[in-house]
Amino acid sequence: MEAETAVVADSILQEDKSRSLWHYSWKRLKRNKLAMAGLVTLTILIIVALTAPIIAPFDPNQQILEYSAKEIFFKGTVLVKKDTDPESDETSYIPVKRLISESGSSVTYLDFSDEELTINKDEIEETSEGWTKTLNYYLGTDRFGRDVLSRLIYGSRVSLTVGLVSESIAIFIGLILGSIAGFFRGKTDAAVMWLVNVIFAFPAILLIIALSVVLGKGLWQAFIAIGLTGWVDIARIVRGQFFSLRETEFVEATKAIGFNSARVITRHILPNCMGPVIVTGTVGLASAIIFEASLSFLGLGVQPPTASWGQMIFDGYKYIVVGTNWGLAVFPSLAIMITVFAVNLLGDGLRDALDPKLKR
Amino acid sequence: MSAFVIRNFFYSIVIIIGVLTVTFCLLYIIPGDPARMMLGQRADVASVESVREELGLNKPIYIQYFKFMTNAFQGDLGRSYATNREVVKTILDKLPATALLSFSALFISSILGILIGIISAVKQYTWLDNFSMVFALIGISFPSFAFGLIMALVFGHLLKWFPISGYVNDGLQYLVLPMLTLALRPMAITARITRSSMMDVMSQDYVRTAKAKGLSSGKVIFKHTLRNALNPVVTTISASLAATLGGVLFIEYIFNWPGIGLLAIDAIFKLDFPMIQGTVLFSAIVFVVINFFVDIVYAMLDPKVKLS
Repeated sequence: MEAETAVVADSILQEDKSRSLWHYSWKRLKRNKLAMAGLVTLTILIIVALTAPIIAPFDPNQQILEYSAKEIFFKGTVLVKKDTDPESDETSYIPVKRLISESGSSVTYLDFSDEELTINKDEIEETSEGWTKTLNYYLGTDRFGRDVLSRLIYGSRVSLTVGLVSESIAIFIGLILGSIAGFFRGKTDAAVMWLVNVIFAFPAILLIIALSVVLGKGLWQAFIAIGLTGWVDIARIVRGQFFSLRETEFVEATKAIGFNSARVITRHILPNCMGPVIVTGTVGLASAIIFEASLSFLGLGVQPPTASWGQMIFDGYKYIVVGTNWGLAVFPSLAIMITVFAVNLLGDGLRDALDPKLKR
Repeated sequence: MSAFVIRNFFYSIVIIIGVLTVTFCLLYIIPGDPARMMLGQRADVASVESVREELGLNKPIYIQYFKFMTNAFQGDLGRSYATNREVVKTILDKLPATALLSFSALFISSILGILIGIISAVKQYTWLDNFSMVFALIGISFPSFAFGLIMALVFGHLLKWFPISGYVNDGLQYLVLPMLTLALRPMAITARITRSSMMDVMSQDYVRTAKAKGLSSGKVIFKHTLRNALNPVVTTISASLAATLGGVLFIEYIFNWPGIGLLAIDAIFKLDFPMIQGTVLFSAIVFVVINFFVDIVYAMLDPKVKLS
């Protein structure tokens, strides 16, 4: 009896505890099925990216030229060469059309140029299927005979890394410039807004491409090009928040106490900007992923042989023109779409969840 | 009003100066010597020097900047490395194709987007609304080149309804696929904005009054709600016009449409810096000019915009 009362009292106390905006926002977000679907998809994608070496069936750069541009669900028969070099963990395969005979210490097979070749059993590994092994290419292969599924899995790493890093750069720059403009106003504000309007005048993708051309090809260049272009939205939002928050009583109070500007900005105004910044940042993340894919499509992002979705679409595009192997372009297109769609669903949900005007 | 126009005009000039400065910096920090790029790696030192002289590359940066600005304001953006044609002339040659594509896409996307937005707002929280909004979100999530490829695959190769490569000189059917691809994103954005703006207005007292008076729902929707909800929609559409200038880039490339986008992509593949710079600059200036006019039209239409 006593214990029961204690439990009830505990729960009442818990109910009574003042809850943060984050608590209620999370509660609202959890009720939004679409947003949760986006969050779950995004979490799965992040897990896929992190565990790529474990879950990918192949090394993404393993080429078997004999298996160039094969359809989905292609199965290939190979002999597995024994690992002679302990340094590298790459497995080398010998693609075969079929085994011809097996005698004593050697195996005779028909290779892809229809030549009969013999190999010593010491050089190859025995598998559960005998001397050959069947390789499953669930989504087919690209023109170098690389596994499309494994490249898709590894490509998620590039998309998510570039998206997250470049959007972080954008948020960082946007927070600083937006705070400066919003706090000091007057001429400082006019100068920052001038820069915002100038950058805003360029179609973002063109400016990003031009910056990448100038900076050179590569991952870091992509971070910088996308980050340097994406901050304007954040800066505008932060500036707007500063303008309205400056008029509030609690900011007035911090000045009355005599806090310096830096403390007022970082401890009192910025935390109250975080909601809109998170929402705008999520939308920015979605665009950043699209921009990365666009750069890779043009060959300006990460460089081959590293797998990236945009690059895969560009390679597959040539096949669509011919009218074969459409999967090569369609699968990475869908991968980008699903990723960006998930981020956008989450962004929409966050917008509703973080809106303090809404009821609990 | 005239004071408003003059003030906006000067602000636009100030923005254009900024845009020019950014593009100048882009060209200035490129690795390598522009003179050598123009002439190729095997050119002799003397002719490289004479081109450097001619382009003013041996002058200090502030003189180069000043020369670039004065040239740009006179409509001279240099010559293409690849073809040696004047950049501005080449761009103006390609302008009609891009303008046709952009405006037709914008027209389709505005009509469809507003229509979808209205239906969603009127039938809010029904399956029709959910379906439209998920569709709109998918539209925003598709990179233009990926969507273009799928359009080309489905309607070009599999169904064979429309040609996937060419220009309207051979018939209007060439416009269909690039136009629809370009229209997707602005349509999705317009639909979302129209829906939320309609929903804001629908909760207003005067809409309830209109309904209470017994007006037909068509009148309430189109005369009382839509008219008042259109402001943010118009802003979105004018912003979309600028966005289509970025969107045409990949779409013109995929559908082989001979406009500024294809020109820019070609220039990127050939590292033709003056041409890249020219297309970037041109798009930005078009954006500033369009915004200037949109602001004026906006001020004339909406008495709430302060003219002072």
